[in-house]
Amino acid sequence: MLVLYPIAYLVQASLSVGDPQARPPEAYGLDNFTGLGRYAHIFGNTLLVAALATVLAVIVGFTMGWMLSRTNVPGRAAFEQLMAMPYYVTPLMGALAWALIASPNSGVVNQVWRALGGEGYLVDINTPWGIAWVMALFEGSVAFVMIGAVMKSMDPAMEEASQVLGASRVRTMLRITLPLVLPGVLGAAVFVFAEMLGSFSAALVLGLPNRFYVVTTAMYQLVSQYPPRFPTAAAMGVSLFAVMFAMVWIYRRIISTGTYVTITGKAFRPRVMDVGGLRWPFLGVCAAYLAVAVILPVLTITYASFQHLTSAIPRADNFTLINYKTALSLDAVGAALGNSLVLGLATASIGVPLMGFLSWLIYRSRLPGAGLIEYLLMFPQAVPRLVFAFGMLWAWLIFPIPIYGTLWLLLIAYLTVFLPLGLRTISGVILQIDRSLEESAQMCGATWGYRLRTVTMPLLKPGLIAAWLLLFIASVRELGASILLMGPKAKVITPAIVESWFSASTELTAAMAVLQTLAVVAALVLLFAVARRAVQHGGE
Amino acid sequence: MTTARASIEVRDLVVRYGSVVAVRGVTFTVDAGEHLTLLGPSGCGKTTTLRAIAGLEKPTSGEIRIGGAPVFSSSPAVNVPAERRGLSMVFQSYAIWPHMSVFDNVAYGLRVRKRPEAEVTTRVREALELVQLGELGTRSASKLSGGQQQRVALARAFVFSPSVLLFDEPLSNLDAKLRAEMRVELKELQRRLDITSVYVTHDLEEALAISDRIIVMRDGVIEQIGSPGEIYDQPRNTFVADFVGSANLIRGRRRADLERDGLVVIQTQGGALVHGIASGRPPGDEALMAVRTVRLRLERARPATQVNVWPARIRQRVFQGDFTQYHVDWDGRVLIVRLATPDPLAEGDEVFVSADPRYCVLLEE
Repeated sequence: MLVLYPIAYLVQASLSVGDPQARPPEAYGLDNFTGLGRYAHIFGNTLLVAALATVLAVIVGFTMGWMLSRTNVPGRAAFEQLMAMPYYVTPLMGALAWALIASPNSGVVNQVWRALGGEGYLVDINTPWGIAWVMALFEGSVAFVMIGAVMKSMDPAMEEASQVLGASRVRTMLRITLPLVLPGVLGAAVFVFAEMLGSFSAALVLGLPNRFYVVTTAMYQLVSQYPPRFPTAAAMGVSLFAVMFAMVWIYRRIISTGTYVTITGKAFRPRVMDVGGLRWPFLGVCAAYLAVAVILPVLTITYASFQHLTSAIPRADNFTLINYKTALSLDAVGAALGNSLVLGLATASIGVPLMGFLSWLIYRSRLPGAGLIEYLLMFPQAVPRLVFAFGMLWAWLIFPIPIYGTLWLLLIAYLTVFLPLGLRTISGVILQIDRSLEESAQMCGATWGYRLRTVTMPLLKPGLIAAWLLLFIASVRELGASILLMGPKAKVITPAIVESWFSASTELTAAMAVLQTLAVVAALVLLFAVARRAVQHGGE
Repeated sequence: MTTARASIEVRDLVVRYGSVVAVRGVTFTVDAGEHLTLLGPSGCGKTTTLRAIAGLEKPTSGEIRIGGAPVFSSSPAVNVPAERRGLSMVFQSYAIWPHMSVFDNVAYGLRVRKRPEAEVTTRVREALELVQLGELGTRSASKLSGGQQQRVALARAFVFSPSVLLFDEPLSNLDAKLRAEMRVELKELQRRLDITSVYVTHDLEEALAISDRIIVMRDGVIEQIGSPGEIYDQPRNTFVADFVGSANLIRGRRRADLERDGLVVIQTQGGALVHGIASGRPPGDEALMAVRTVRLRLERARPATQVNVWPARIRQRVFQGDFTQYHVDWDGRVLIVRLATPDPLAEGDEVFVSADPRYCVLLEE
């Protein structure tokens, strides 16, 4: 219901050809879709950026995946943990940081270039390449997780057999490893490509200055301009959604059919290949990725936040705390951060019981149609959050209870768009708990409530806490849905950062981003503290 | 330890999952205090039957009574939830709760029943003594070996004096040596608790060792019900003969003219006469007999018995430790004979194969 309602309205709006402001639509037709021809270049841009970023991300993911799961690079275990970091940096942070580093005029790199006597600029981030670069750094860690998992599940005996038969390591890698993991890599590529098509923040921050639009930013523009052109935006959204849905479908096909015999139930010892002296260059590659994707952006933003005017050469009189003072004294910022934290709390606290109940329904109750419910609930996964929010905007505008422009609408939006995330986290934990643990309590005579209290809940606790924090973090940093749905009196922090980027100073924006990150880090610290206590408690 | 024993009656039990029928009309009874085993290959419906008795699986139709009272019936509709059936169960995965101590695990059933804490302490201690885990009460359940978890699961299952104990392949996760030990312990425990039990396994030795009666199942139906001795020496059909240890199958034409003393006689294609017992099965013109590989004897000199003595030659000899397996050329085919005696027979030796007619059993086809 929560899921289908906005989608239905999205489709309705896309077919409306009468007065754009009339609700319900006066006439239906395909004019909005045929009219999309004018925007062909935007679809071209989207495809270009997504394709570039996918290629880059898959290269990153494959290289890192192979090095970290199949070779003896020093510090593999630590690196594998660290590879999650780019994901926490978020594309928005990355885009802001890279804009500071490499924008044609004020970018740090170009300042240095000119200081060294160069003409014009060395690099320009406000291009399709720049957008793809930032997105690829972010999605690289997603590709890594997916491809790494496939590589780990491959029986090393297959590689060993090749080596025993006299093939060199490189030949083994090219002739055995690569073909075996190819379906997994393809799956990751399709998945990443679909995500890129719907991505929003990097394209917004880096594309807008040069009026370079992708579908999501064009939709945003169409909706926020005056007069808003909802039907056209809706038609774009539906088209994008259709493409992504096809991609997700292809992804599922690849995952379910094309994996050869790579994943066998047979137990094998994970064994890694000795790459000898190449270990150190490999280590360098891994470290370089993390540096570019995590350390550099975080440092840049932090540095900029303490500057009057960001300059490549640090000068004592340029350092200041004024940005933090301003950020904290601006009512809008304080209120937005407060709103975000409240929303995060509410989303996580309502989301965990709700999604817990839904997971239980899907995986434990043996309700007829549980599979269908699962499919429906995972639906928001296939829809870019901005497109989804657009559907919700359209849907809730005419809702009899006036929740448009309030935090309530955002809460509903968050609960809907994060359904797949929460469900996957919680159901992962539920599936790990063997059904017989509950059944044995039942055989001891415990009633449903007693079982839930003494067995099910204590076992689920660590997973539920993790899910709570994930939802909290995701909500506080949400952009795509929030930017469309927040009202002037109910701002949240991430869209406020973007607004400040376009309207106020860069340095102030950096300070806001740092503040937001600190809030998220505080939540993460809490996660680890609680998780450790839970582990110790369980281990006693 | 006091226990109230209960009988179990299962009538026309059918369990269907969607289009798959796991159990297709099974009927049997377990007497109060009896130890019954459901034996069969995986997917034969034995675990589903057990779970239906437990109340963890809702049957499609049929009736289940425990201690005379219906706990499930399709008409009139009765379905007592598992927690109110007064049974207990030991799970294949042990299902020991990792977030509780050993003591709390075992005490669970008593606390559910709101027994005073003093009684809980005494009874848990008794139960732990009985499974030889007396000193482990305070240990966290997640820090136990497989064998110890098994014992905790046992103690937890019987501590609250259930009327029936159900076992779902409880020993299948243990290694062979530990399994053999636990089998003996389990039998001892059953005797001391004096309780009705239903045991599910695919392991023949386990079934033979601990049961009063065995039910052999295949594809959701019962193939044979009988004492361990009957199941072993008088299999009803080729499936039971084959599943329950190894047997030689001998096909032949009925020779009613030679039959005396209640024996059945068949003549093989090669001309050998085999005397056996019908064990209540109606013999036709064509007949199939089964004889266990360990019931055949091999001797150099012709034995003095009148019937079932045939000349043969040893083709192959495989030493397997506990026994030696001989492949013997007999009547134009190969018979398999297992002998536990240390013995001088060599490949190529001319010998006599003999079999007591009581162990040559007519099969249903």
